Order: sequence, then C-alpha cells, then structure tokens
Amino acid sequence: MGSKIAGKKHSPAGKIIVWVVLSIMAVIQIFPLVWLVDFSLASSNEMFTSGLLVMPKKIQWGNYAKAFVDGHFLLYLKNSIIINGLAVLLVLIISIMAAFAVHRMRWKLSGFVKTLLLLGMMIPIHATLLPNYKLYNTLNITDTCWALLIPYVAFSLPQALYLMTGFLDSVPIELEEAAVMDGCGIYRIVFQVVIPLLKPSIATVSIMTFLNNWNEFMMARTYLSSPKWKTLPFSVLEFTGQYSSNYAVQFAVMALTAAPAVIVYIILNKHITKGVAMGAVKG
Amino acid sequence: MKKLYGNKAVITTLILPGILVFMFAIFLPICMSVYYGFTEYSGMGTAKFIGLDNYKEILHDGAFGKSLFNSLLLALGFIFIQHPLAIITAAVLDKLEGKAESFFRCVLFLPNVISVAVIAYLWKFIYNPDFGLLNNILHAFGQKESVNFFSTENAIWAVLVVLVWHGFGWGMLIYYTGIKNIDPVLYEAAAIDGSNTFQTFFKITLPLMKPVIQINVTMAIISALKQMETVYLLTGGGPGNSTQFAANYLYQQAFKAFKYGYGNALGVIFIVICLISTVLLNTIFRKKKEA
Amino acid sequence: MRKKLIATMMAAVMTAGLITGCGSDGGKTTSGGGSSSKGGNETITLKLFSNLPDRKNGQGLVEQKIIDEYMEANKNIKIEVEALDEEAYKTKFKAYAMDDMPDVVSIWGQPSFLDEVLAAGTLAELNESDYSDYKFVEGSLEGFKKNGSLYGLPRNTDIAVFYYNEKMFNDNGWTVPETYDDLLSLSDKINDAGITPVAMDGGDGWPMAIYLTDLAFRIEGPAVADKINEAVAKGDFTDEVFSDATSLLVKSAKAGLFQKGYDSQDYGTAMNLFTNGQAAMFYMGTWESSMATNEDIPKDIRENIRVFVMPSVSGGTAKNTDLAAWNGGGYAVSQGCQNKEEAIKFLNYMYQPDKLSKYGWENGVGLSAQDQTSYTTGNETELQKQIMSLLTNATSMSGTPINDCGPSAFKTVIESEIQNVSNGTTSIDDFLLTIGKSCQ
Repeated sequence: MGSKIAGKKHSPAGKIIVWVVLSIMAVIQIFPLVWLVDFSLASSNEMFTSGLLVMPKKIQWGNYAKAFVDGHFLLYLKNSIIINGLAVLLVLIISIMAAFAVHRMRWKLSGFVKTLLLLGMMIPIHATLLPNYKLYNTLNITDTCWALLIPYVAFSLPQALYLMTGFLDSVPIELEEAAVMDGCGIYRIVFQVVIPLLKPSIATVSIMTFLNNWNEFMMARTYLSSPKWKTLPFSVLEFTGQYSSNYAVQFAVMALTAAPAVIVYIILNKHITKGVAMGAVKG
Repeated sequence: MKKLYGNKAVITTLILPGILVFMFAIFLPICMSVYYGFTEYSGMGTAKFIGLDNYKEILHDGAFGKSLFNSLLLALGFIFIQHPLAIITAAVLDKLEGKAESFFRCVLFLPNVISVAVIAYLWKFIYNPDFGLLNNILHAFGQKESVNFFSTENAIWAVLVVLVWHGFGWGMLIYYTGIKNIDPVLYEAAAIDGSNTFQTFFKITLPLMKPVIQINVTMAIISALKQMETVYLLTGGGPGNSTQFAANYLYQQAFKAFKYGYGNALGVIFIVICLISTVLLNTIFRKKKEA
Repeated sequence: MRKKLIATMMAAVMTAGLITGCGSDGGKTTSGGGSSSKGGNETITLKLFSNLPDRKNGQGLVEQKIIDEYMEANKNIKIEVEALDEEAYKTKFKAYAMDDMPDVVSIWGQPSFLDEVLAAGTLAELNESDYSDYKFVEGSLEGFKKNGSLYGLPRNTDIAVFYYNEKMFNDNGWTVPETYDDLLSLSDKINDAGITPVAMDGGDGWPMAIYLTDLAFRIEGPAVADKINEAVAKGDFTDEVFSDATSLLVKSAKAGLFQKGYDSQDYGTAMNLFTNGQAAMFYMGTWESSMATNEDIPKDIRENIRVFVMPSVSGGTAKNTDLAAWNGGGYAVSQGCQNKEEAIKFLNYMYQPDKLSKYGWENGVGLSAQDQTSYTTGNETELQKQIMSLLTNATSMSGTPINDCGPSAFKTVIESEIQNVSNGTTSIDDFLLTIGKSCQ
C-alpha cells in the first residue's frame, strides 16, 4: 500500500505498489468479461482448449447474429428501457411528494407514516413473490407491464424516500417561504420550487432505482409469460434452453445482453459512480 | 404559512400514492402470506386451515436451517473478505489522480452494472471442470486433476466468490467516497508527527471510516439474507441443499413441491428474521456510537 | 450538463411510455384473445405452454411444424407458444395452476406430476373413444387416466439408454459392455485414456433417479414396479432391491463412471460433453436421438452415435431385452380455458397419426406413443434404426422412474437427496430413510 504522502510526492516505490495493487484487482474484475467476449467469437468446439483464451480460426460474427435475432434482443431491450424508465419516473414523483409530506408538512402521523414507508427497505423482495403471484393473477395483471412496475416501484420507493428526505434538509426553507408570500400553493412549491433544487438528488435516486431494477429477473420470470413485456435478462435465460448444444452462441447472447448497461456505464461513468456514492453514503 | 403546511387535503394527496403503493405491493402480500402460512394448500383447489402446523414443521426443517447458516456464512464472507479488500483498494485508489484514477474506478465497478443473469451463467462456465477458465488457470500452474467447484463441500464457496466478485465495486466505491471525505489536514498532521503509511491508515483512515463501515456491514448482512438470484441460476441450491438460501427455498417449496402454504409460512418467518436482524444491527451500532 | 441529461432522459422515457401504451390496457390486447374484433372472422388465440424450448431441433421443431401447419389451415386460429426447459417449465406450470392456465399444456403422465393437478381439476377430460383409431400403443394411456377418465395424451415412449460414440469405441478398442461389471471396467479404461466415461446430468436429479430405477429393474426384473409402488405407499424403502441399486449407483459414482462435478452439472452441460467428444457415453432418454441430425453437433460425432441399454447386473433377474420404458411426456387441455373446444380440436390434430408421430419419426426424435412401424423408409439414421430394434425386440416393458412414482414432495426430496447419496455426503441408509419419510 502506498502512502498518501508518498503518492503525492510521487515516490517511485509507493507508486509501483499502487499500480500493482490496482492492476491485480482490475484484472480480476475484468478478465472474466474478456474471456466471455473472446469465447463468444469462437466456434463451440474451439472452447475445449487448455489455454486461457482462444484464437478463433475464423471470427464467428454469426454467433452474434443468432443471439440478436433469436434472443429477441431489440424487443427485450425496448421493454427493459420502458419498464425501468417508467419505474424511475414513478419512484421520483411519488418519493418527492411523500418526502415533502412527511418532512415539511405538519401533521400528527407524519413520523409514523415515514417509518412505515421506510419499513419496506427491510422486507425481502422475494418473500412477496408467492402472494404477489396469486394477487396479480386474481387481478388479471400477470403478463402485463404492471406486474413488474408495481413491485419495482414499491421496492425502490423506501430507499428513494429516505434519500429524498435527507436531501430536503439541504433545501433552504426560506425559498419556500418566499414562494408562499408570492401566493404559491403547496403543489406549485413542490413542483416549481423544490424539484429544481433537488436535481442532484433526483439523479442519484434515478441511478439507484435504475441499477436496482435493470438486472432484476426473478419477478419477471414469475409474472411474465409472453414475449410482449419480457425484459433483457430473458435473452440469456431463454437461450440456455434454446441453444443448449451451442456454447458459443450462449456466450454471444451473454455478451450482447451485458452490452447496453456496460456502454451506458462507460459513457456516464462519472455521473453514475458519483450518484451511487452519494446514495450509498447517505443511505 | 402554518395553515398552508397543515392542510389535510393537500397532505393526503401528497402522501396517498406512496401509501397506496406500500399497501398494495408490500402490506397486502404480507397479509396474504400470513394467511396462507396457516393453511395446507397446493396452490390449486382450496386451502385447508391447519393452524400452526407449518410453523412446527419449519422448526424441524433442516434445509431451512441450512439456508440461514449459509446466509451467515455469506455475511461473514462479505465482511472478512470482500470489505477488507474493498477498503484497501479504495485507500490505494485514493493515491491516484486524473485519467488513471477514473480508469481504475470505472473498471473496478464494471461487473456491478451487468445483470445477475449474465454473471451467473458466465461463472457457471468459468467453474466448468472441462473448459472453464478457473480450471484452465489451475492447469497452467501445473494442477493435473480438474477441480469440481460445485461439489457439496466447495459449492458454497464457489457461490461466495461470485458474489464477492460481483459486489466488490459497490463496496469499494462507498469506501472510496468515505476516504475522499476525510479532511486532508488530518493526514498532513499525521505526516508531521512522523506516522508511516500503515500507522496513518490504521490511526486515521479506519477510525474515521467507522460510520461507513457500519453501514456497509449492515448492508452486507441484509444482502446475505436476501440472496436468491445468483444461487437460483448458479446452483439451484444444490447439490443436495448445500447452497440453499431462504428465498430460493421458499420458492422451490411453493412452486416445485406443491407446498404453497408451507412456502408462505417460510416467507413469514423469513420476513421476521430480516426485520429483527435490521433492528438488532441498528441498535448495536447506535449503542456503540453513544459509548 | 447533468441537468440536461436527466431532463432528456425523463422526456425520452415519458414519450416512450406514451407511444408504446404501457398505459391503461397495456398487454391486455394479447391475452384478451381478440375479444375486441367484432363478430364474423374472430381470431381465436390459443396459448400453448411447452417444455421444448429448442424450436429448431428435435421435438420442439416437430411441435412448431405442426403448429405452423395448423395455423396455415385455420386462418382464424393463432397459437402463441411459451416454451421453457423442463425444470423451469414444471415450476411455472405450478404457478399457472393457481389460476389462468394456458390452453394447451405439456404434462407428464406420472403420479408425481399428475396427481395434484388432477385433484385440483386443472385439466379437461378427453373422450377416450375419439382416439380409438389413433394407434396408441397398448397401455400408453394408463398414466393419463384417473378413475377411468382420460385427461391427457402421451407423446413419447421413453427408454433410458447409454448413447455412445461408436467411432471413439472402435478407435480405442472398447466394446459395448454386456454386464454392469463390464461397464465399470470399461469405465476405468476410458478414464485411463483421459476421457470421461459417462456424461451424466446429475444437477437435475431426475436422470440419476432414472438410473437408479434402471438398476433396480435389472436387479429385480419387471416386478420392481410393484415394489416401488408399495414402498411409496408405505413410506418404507427397506427392501433390499433399493439398497442394492443405490449402493451400485454410489459405487459407480465413486469409481469415476460419471464426469467430475456431475452432481452439479445441468442437462446441456452433460450433453455437450458427449457431443463435443469429451465423454464416451451419455445417459439419457431416447428423446435425445435427434442428436444424430443436429447440425450444431460436429459431423464425425453425430453420425457415430449409437445406443445400448443398461447392462445386466450380476445376480439380477432381468434380461437385456427387458426394457425399462415408460410413457412420460404428453399434452393436455386445461379445464378453465376460454377456448376449450378449439384447444381440444388442436390437440386432436396434433395426435392424428400422421402428425406428431410421423413427423417425430421423420425427424428421428425418439419413439412416439403411437404405432410407428408403417413410417419406416429405410432412410432413417443408424441410431433411429437401432432404437426401433430395441423396441421391437423387447421381451417386456415397464418402469416409470422411481422419482415420478410418488407425490411431488417425494420427487423434490429424492431428486435432491440422490445427489447427496451418490457423492457420499449421506449414507445409503439415511438416503432410504429420508425418501421414505417424504412419502407421507
């Protein structure tokens, strides 16, 4: 481990240690993904090698073509974006309104309601799989986007509420007072005064909610049956059966499914890590 | 002003969506679980009320006990393997600046954004005894026999490795932020006192990180309890029940063994355990803070 | 910068939401079965829930082909398929069973699957006399009946076999084992050559349960079926045949008959070991005989796949021509579905002898539960001919796999416990005790 001081002074020994440690960790984190991409470009029987990576005799782009078409990539990606996008939107609106109600408004039960809503953070999401399945069936909403939207929103809400109440503290009450003087109602205060001030927190909550739900598949697998609303993880889940005798295509579909999130992450790297850090430290 | 902020109608409209979502998606299902937990019900036909029989059965259910034990093991794995690595990496990353820093931060966090579905299948291949990456690495180091990472003894460790690997970036990032928030003046003071790197780390960085560590430990224990998706795809809880976890087990009981009633009883116990652990952890850490 | 980003993101999401209409009635349009269109040529949507996810090979291909033909012939019918692999299928089936079953479903004519399903009245009753000229093999409908009423139709006649790579056997001078001891000594030889003897899907539990049944059958002969039923009914597996068969399985696993990590590897992994030449044999049912025509499998392997059945066990009473065969998988129509008449019509269409059975034969996907002798053309793959001759030379046939003979709680337990006993985690006595307990 290098020393803070040593690092700042660029002492060579400290610097080498810093680079060695980080490189080792980086290789551990990234090599499996490199392996994945490498094998996805080979043919199935080239995989049984003893080396760590294969040099494909011919790069098999066809694997990706199969994965793209038979994995319903575009449809599932679109579904994922819509469902997650709507979930984020709903979580934001509901959490801001609720946070304002329990934190700023004056009423007797505000503390109790806040605790109640935050309780959701402790409930294991998968314990609700069984009753929810029955419930949604009775209401005839299995296999619709609601079957995913409702639980996604519900289980992201407590954390969002927690973060939003925290952030609300930093919004100066004087601004609201000024708005009241101008004759604004509460709704206008929430949507025109408070929301613009909460923008960094909105980013954090959006990112946290998106990350939490983007990769979810257990509920999707239980509640959905037709391809209409299936989300991106299904490309992988369905493929293992469909192409059980073709490993390379399975690798291709995994790489392809991972790609959107990775690409967006690399582009928005700074914002996402900042958002996560902010959310996690506060939460 | 006061009147405006105490307007009952406005409060109701603001809080109602949140309450509705909570009631419908969390409270109502839990009530249903409590109800079905008292019944013998295959999921089809009619439910038969059997009182506490399901709960008595849970007391003797070895597989459920095993799943709680596995959660404990996983939590310990997180706390004693993932978190020390994450803290050290975060402290080291803190020494870098500019492009290099953002490169490493990006790479180390990357697995976190990839779907569990991809991660689980990827690691299934990595562990494969015939062409898997890990065995090929071992072969490169001269190991002759292929190792079976999913044997009864090894499987839980194999699961642990995947989870530690996948969640590493998250923990690292939080610690990293924590370290960044430490006032540099303290380090300068330590340097003037002649502290070396290790002393600084143990005397300043670690103590100041205590709140962050506490949050992370709580999160580690809770996420170990809630573990399901990785195990569901990686091992399905097997071989035997050696990698069983509560959520996966209740799912299997309800949808595989036709014991929907029993599955719900497990769900109720599972929720209670999660609630108790969270409250317990919070109390412990709060007491420590006061002490 | 960030503000703009968020704003754009939100705007994009909102418009996306509006455009695709995840609003009030999103998704309902598919499930409503065309209720919106008025009178006349109303489109009827049938949902088929299938356990054949691979729609381009084997049985999934056959199933899809019939569906396409049917939709072509009946323009007003639309058939939507949801296909999952077997384990996922059974889980989802049970979830569906609570409400809202798809119209046509894959089922298994075995107590472990059907008992609870029939008890809950989930499946529609079929009229047995409709099928008198469908050439069903005698006795094949029995598993699908309850109190004399018929609730489903069998798709296959299944026999568990060892697929082996004949070229690999010839190249190495290995011969097909006559007795179980031969198999074990062959296994040593194959291991010495650095190849896996038998690829086993041990991760799922049921193939090993079939293996166990196969062994018990070899020891006890056809009478074993009664012994199994009796043991399940009493919850008592102390009969010698069970401990003998189990110890033989444990011994084989210990001797390295199966691949390393067999107890955690799934169907696809085990099969790929064999189809990629990493294993000399593969223990699976005859429904996989379409491997011989699967283009994804290298040519020099798929053309050399042959089979043999479980060799005789010393001291056992069964002959090598006594087959442990069963009529497992099949189809049924759900009781509660809206378009029951249409669903049964489609079911009957599938089972017309020149559909499922004939196409199945032409595609070499194992044996159907209907008489297939008239479809022989001489162009079949060697593998298919061999399997047919197994069947025609059989001196007796019986043998529902042990895991399917009891209630589903028993099935769940035995399929997980058999992993533990085969790898030595639990003792044979404990294994038999535990599975006995789960029968109550």
